[in-house]
Amino acid sequence: MTYLFQILNGVGLGMLYFLLAVGLSIIFGLLQFVNFAHGAFYLLGAYLAYEGVERGLSFWVAMPLAAVIVAALAGMTERLLLRRVYKLPHTFHILVTVGLALVVQELVIIVWGPLGGNVAAPDELSGVMILGDFIYPEYRLFVIGFTVILAAALWWLLDRTRLGAIVRAGSESPQNMALLGYDTLSINTAVFALGAGLAGLAGALAAPIRGVEPFMGVEALGIAFVVVVIGGMGSYAGALAAGILVGVAQSLMATLWPEGARLVIYLGMAGIIMAMPRGLLGRA
Amino acid sequence: MIPVLDRPLVQFGLATAAVLILPLVMRSGTLASEILIFGLAVAACNLLLGYTGLLSFGQGIFFGIGSYVAGLGLVRAGLPAPVMLAVSLSVGALVAAVVGWISIRRQGVYFVMLTLAFSQMFYFLAYTFSGITGGDNGFLDIPRPTLVGTRLTDPWTYYAYVAVLFLVLFAALQRVALSTFGRTLLAIRDNEARAGAIGYPVRAFKVAAFAISGAVTAFAGALHAMLIGVAPLSNIDYHTSETLLIMTIIGGSANLFASLLGAGAYLLAADALSAIWPRWLLALGLLLIVITLFLQRGLWGLIERAIVLVTQAPPPDDPARPVVTPPPVAHAPEVAR
Repeated sequence: MTYLFQILNGVGLGMLYFLLAVGLSIIFGLLQFVNFAHGAFYLLGAYLAYEGVERGLSFWVAMPLAAVIVAALAGMTERLLLRRVYKLPHTFHILVTVGLALVVQELVIIVWGPLGGNVAAPDELSGVMILGDFIYPEYRLFVIGFTVILAAALWWLLDRTRLGAIVRAGSESPQNMALLGYDTLSINTAVFALGAGLAGLAGALAAPIRGVEPFMGVEALGIAFVVVVIGGMGSYAGALAAGILVGVAQSLMATLWPEGARLVIYLGMAGIIMAMPRGLLGRA
Repeated sequence: MIPVLDRPLVQFGLATAAVLILPLVMRSGTLASEILIFGLAVAACNLLLGYTGLLSFGQGIFFGIGSYVAGLGLVRAGLPAPVMLAVSLSVGALVAAVVGWISIRRQGVYFVMLTLAFSQMFYFLAYTFSGITGGDNGFLDIPRPTLVGTRLTDPWTYYAYVAVLFLVLFAALQRVALSTFGRTLLAIRDNEARAGAIGYPVRAFKVAAFAISGAVTAFAGALHAMLIGVAPLSNIDYHTSETLLIMTIIGGSANLFASLLGAGAYLLAADALSAIWPRWLLALGLLLIVITLFLQRGLWGLIERAIVLVTQAPPPDDPARPVVTPPPVAHAPEVAR
């Protein structure tokens, strides 16, 4: 029974990891840009949700609002700053986003203090679900359901819509897209905002589960990289499979060997890379 | 580029001058030692980033391992410092070879992400096995080395000890960079596919570069543990890796003295700023953005530019190219560095 509980926990966690990783993945796919500030967007999303709830907003408003604000800020950052560095070697992509992440993290500490806090789950979901002798927090069930719907919507957006086609074509050949008359600059901004917004949403959704603290961004970045490395960059299905795999492994380990839970994730990653250098479902 | 400044003897002379000047201008022998120690680790990072084109986010692994190995040997086994420095060096080389060997299975950004994930892995390894490493508290009570019967507790005496070792290893790294091996690394950096096509075993070269870099970094980590008397968990975490990389880029890549410059500038600024403003990392973040936009060749590039301005003699080899313009880099992953 504990295992079922932990597996369910792991799926919820894994879906959040998926949101993080898929954002990172589409940004990289289209812009060939490694976003080391991705964890900072997650951090910001969590804190904005925290702030919203503290100010008396319903979580149902605060959570999407946090994601939208993060997306808007990220879009602005892309326009004003990141756009200028695309043509530089990727050392500088990393440097500028590491700088950005530091700025966000320190601003969070200046605004909200170094200690962090807790976000209450919305009242409707603060209880537990009882099925026979199985007890499970309702909020975590909501996270699973909500992220599954979101993942389906995202798949539809990327695979079945015109925007998705543009994004995929843009990752294959940005020059051709520009030649065809697409406004690639705006598409870049939109995709960056979308990816960052997903990270912000993951942060807002995670806030009632794990609380908020200023260094959650660094941890999230590490996890997102693991998921992307295991799943294969640019692969939606890979991010989904790897996200859930990592989440479930981490949750199970939390019962079996709590101190080593995160260690096992990274060891597993090393193992998978040894066996399959391209990741589970990676193209290149 | 100013060719005369890149000559090995000039570089070594600059490093020696820095070693001699630090005691004259600085009050804290501890901070001065720290500059040399980090200068060494940054030079090792530069061997990967500047010479081989490998942006490793895992340098903290080797730094931390050097600290722990030194601590374990000195405290648990009671071995003398020189032995433990040598052991740290070897263990660092070994671990770096393994980490490098796995990480270079992927290229470009994937490689960077792998090294970062490894640095997290080793962090949690140290965190999980707190019986060996001391976990959150760090590995405590690491003694300073002894020399002719006296323990080097005085900061400036220890500085002298570090300074000699620094110069030896600095020269060794220069030797590596100038050797055929080092030239081959440059070839791999500039065009990996071509280097491979000529017949160089590219992966073996990369692993070797990792091993050398890891060895020197672990050596620096051991010196650091003896300096502060602890091997803290923070020595092996993500932030140490990040800091070493930042120092490397601030200094300027593919130039070993620039690494000492980067380490020194970072540590002095950190020391001054953190005393007056606890959120000084905000300023660092902004500085990284500024460097990316305007100062891509780091402090070394800035100095070269200043010298060119003062002497009014543009370098004859390519007068048309402004010094700050980075080389255009294609986005294709197989050539991305």
